[in-house]
Amino acid sequence: MLDMVVSASMPRLMALQAAGQPSPPIQNIRALIDTGASCTCIDPTVLVALGIQPTGKTLVITPSTGATPVDADTYDVCIVIPASGNQQPLVKAVISVCATELIHQGYHALLGRDILKDCHFTYNGSAEFFTLAY
Amino acid sequence: MALEKELATYKAKLPDLKEHQGKFVLIHGDEVVDYYVAYEDAIKAGYDKFKLEPFLVKQVSVTEAVHQFTRQIIPLSSERAA
Repeated sequence: MLDMVVSASMPRLMALQAAGQPSPPIQNIRALIDTGASCTCIDPTVLVALGIQPTGKTLVITPSTGATPVDADTYDVCIVIPASGNQQPLVKAVISVCATELIHQGYHALLGRDILKDCHFTYNGSAEFFTLAY
Repeated sequence: MALEKELATYKAKLPDLKEHQGKFVLIHGDEVVDYYVAYEDAIKAGYDKFKLEPFLVKQVSVTEAVHQFTRQIIPLSSERAA
């Protein structure tokens, strides 16, 4: 698990500003690193809090869908993974995420391989820690 | 349903879009606006042109990409919710 910050994407924030509308508050959320997820997913409660609408749709396969993919709405958001000390955070100013119910599992997001591909992720099981470098 | 018209436009015009395979197409209503190499550029153009109105950004692909999840999750779609 790790903490990350989600907001509306930068282009949407600029559109809101141009329309004289307030920016929705950023959301501090908990994410589970999931190498079995090909894209990052966020719970709809977070997306509703950001006041955003879908800007895409994609096909998804999970263990319950069998061989037939199902549609999932996608949203453009900004994701920031903070870094400790003077290190630079990982910033994805515009990234597409899938809407997926997760909150009942105890976290708000799955951090998938679309973000992990830009990181160095190591899991030390015997020492019970992981590192995520970016 | 969100983006219903835009998705219908994408499906109807997919044969014409094939030459742009891999690029991201921006669609507003029944209008195919433009194509972009990067997803970020397509999203930015969408908000620049259409402000807060609905628009669709989709990667052009004859065989649509499928996202895989090994975890049991419930993907949400406004289509199924409608």
